Amino acid sequence: MSNKNSKRVQYINSNLLGRKREPIEIVQEEPIELIMKELETETTIDRNEVIDMCQDLLEGELSSFHRDSMMQYLNYASTAQFPPQMTALDASQPWMVYWIANSLATVKPSSIDDELKRKIVNKLFTISPEKGPFGGGSGQLPHIAGTYAAINALSLCDNIDGCWDEINKPAIYDWLLSLKQPDNSFITCNPVGETDTRGTYCALSVASMLGIMTDELTAGVAEYLESCQTYEGGYGGTPVGDEAHGGYTFCAVASLFILGRSDLIDIEGLMEWCSARQYNEEMGLSGRNNKLVDGCYSFWVGATAAMIEALTGVECLDKSALQRYILNCCQSDERPGFRDKPGKSPDFYHTNYVLLGLAYAESSFSFKDSRTDNPFAITSTQRKNVENSANLIPISPIYGLPIDSLNKFHDHFVTHKK
Amino acid sequence: MPFTFNINDYDNVEPLPLPLEDPSGPALCSIMYSDEYKEALGLLRRLLLLNELSVRAFNLSTHVIELAPAFYTAWNYRYRVVEHLVAEESKLVGDPSAPAVWLNRELDWLDEFTLSNPKNYQIWSYRQALIANLHPQPALARELPITQLMVDDDSKNYHVWAHRKWACAHFADWSHERRFALTYIQRDPYNNSAWAHRLATWSHDPWDSEDAFTAEFEWTKELIARVPQNVSSWQYLRGLCALHKWDQKLLQRCTQLCEQYNDESSYALEFYGYLCSRDDVNRGQDAVAAYEKLAETMDPIRSGLWRHKIELLRSKHN
Repeated sequence: MSNKNSKRVQYINSNLLGRKREPIEIVQEEPIELIMKELETETTIDRNEVIDMCQDLLEGELSSFHRDSMMQYLNYASTAQFPPQMTALDASQPWMVYWIANSLATVKPSSIDDELKRKIVNKLFTISPEKGPFGGGSGQLPHIAGTYAAINALSLCDNIDGCWDEINKPAIYDWLLSLKQPDNSFITCNPVGETDTRGTYCALSVASMLGIMTDELTAGVAEYLESCQTYEGGYGGTPVGDEAHGGYTFCAVASLFILGRSDLIDIEGLMEWCSARQYNEEMGLSGRNNKLVDGCYSFWVGATAAMIEALTGVECLDKSALQRYILNCCQSDERPGFRDKPGKSPDFYHTNYVLLGLAYAESSFSFKDSRTDNPFAITSTQRKNVENSANLIPISPIYGLPIDSLNKFHDHFVTHKK
Repeated sequence: MPFTFNINDYDNVEPLPLPLEDPSGPALCSIMYSDEYKEALGLLRRLLLLNELSVRAFNLSTHVIELAPAFYTAWNYRYRVVEHLVAEESKLVGDPSAPAVWLNRELDWLDEFTLSNPKNYQIWSYRQALIANLHPQPALARELPITQLMVDDDSKNYHVWAHRKWACAHFADWSHERRFALTYIQRDPYNNSAWAHRLATWSHDPWDSEDAFTAEFEWTKELIARVPQNVSSWQYLRGLCALHKWDQKLLQRCTQLCEQYNDESSYALEFYGYLCSRDDVNRGQDAVAAYEKLAETMDPIRSGLWRHKIELLRSKHN
């Protein structure tokens, strides 16, 4: 029996027939020359299944970016009404708006025409008639993630009808301050919500874009974030010793860059952890040690690597390999949009973050005039000789937004203060 | 009034419909709600507006949460209702610990809900708010069975491991945790969540003797021997040593251990490269050789990192 088949039988036995078996040691031939001992456990069974699915797709030609079907998918998303099953996302409406609008902006900025801009503004200002802070939908409590997504989406609307001037900065500021906890984290919602690096990132992203960062808001925040870096090199959600995780790592690192405190990062440890996210076999990125690859980490981990690159000049991920995972494994001929991995269905979340990850894989990063303490000075330029380039718009790895519209938004609030 | 949702309890509540967002057509990202959800949402919006803190408001929150588990506004509303009812009950009975029964029943409901919605975010922050702010006699013992069930079911569920650590830190009791982590490491030595949990126990509850550290070091070595190509156990070893503080004896022990596995584990070789790069080991040549081997054969996809490490070493020696 071939190695592949024997793995499949083992998988069927243990997963489908539900037989609990003692782990047996198998000697497996790795694609990279060595014979490494592997123990068969839940982790290796799951991973081998993914490797099997990716292998055929990765071999052979590099796929091109399915631009037309992507645009159809996104245009459909920006006009359609969603089926009742999507009620699960009822408290995440600004997220959907951001994911769809940002995907459009990354592929083809002109596709966000005035009509769509007005629809975005209408939608968000209906959610919050006070024009900030924003909840997950109309009548819902203000939430840090909803506010983050709403501000991001508004930044893509080019101040149409003066919408940027209508954003209620004082209300957003007071509310952000009310979320700050004694340990200098931010709670996502009062009185019940999470406190972790994600809340901190959302708060700092919004405050820095709107130019409402004060010492009062930021005091002690950098130290809180610093205490979330773990022995693995990445960051956990909280300082209690949580496992290092791609999402929380991005949030912590981007927050430290927003604060201009990248000096608090153990950069070698972080680099090692980021680079360990990429596997030789699948070429994509995982979010934690010994976990499966997932297209969304192309951004969460890719953007972290981009910030490291802008700071140090070191590229700690193999961008061409990541591009291959994205183009060959995250898109399919059957369904438009990007997916987590083969066997999964595309969705708006993965479409946005895989697109941003693809933009990362095709670009190089630095800080303008070495201004490493200014998050708005980060630049992204197309790498030379990228095969099958998707020609995406330059993206800020700190904000997950097109650099042009981000800087225009920020300038509106900071440089030309009104 | 019983603690079950019954639509007839809301006969005198006028549902508050969602505002029309866009007169020109359907709004962006609008969802075609089921009639049941629309009805529940309308009632919830009205009661929220009235700020009604009652048993029927509590029951309505159950109903909405079951229809849309991520609807954090309903969780927050539920919390405020519980807070109010608990305070009322204390006043009525005149015994501040009386609400414990009530809150335990709420935790029972939450256990059930958690088991059927394992990926949900809100369950954990709601649970933590009940324990930290409302429960008169909270107990770590109440948190252990549910988290164990959840990890049994989904061994790397991030929220569950995080909640377990939150609870241990909240109650300042890590005494169950080393054994807990051990169970899952033995079941699957690649379970990084379990390794990270075990390391957290040492930072919160350090070893009291050098012997205890040595025992942990030896145990880790055994796990490495079982599966040398495992990032989790090597990372753990490095983390453990950093907690202990590096000294010459420990550096030597680790270097020797790596040498034993350098040919069959890229993670051994990575650790070896790290050790040899350290000023207090100062074996730059060996480190460069390790990183070259990683870049060329053992872990080529990470060659960007390995080249950077080599450059660091070269610039240090120039």
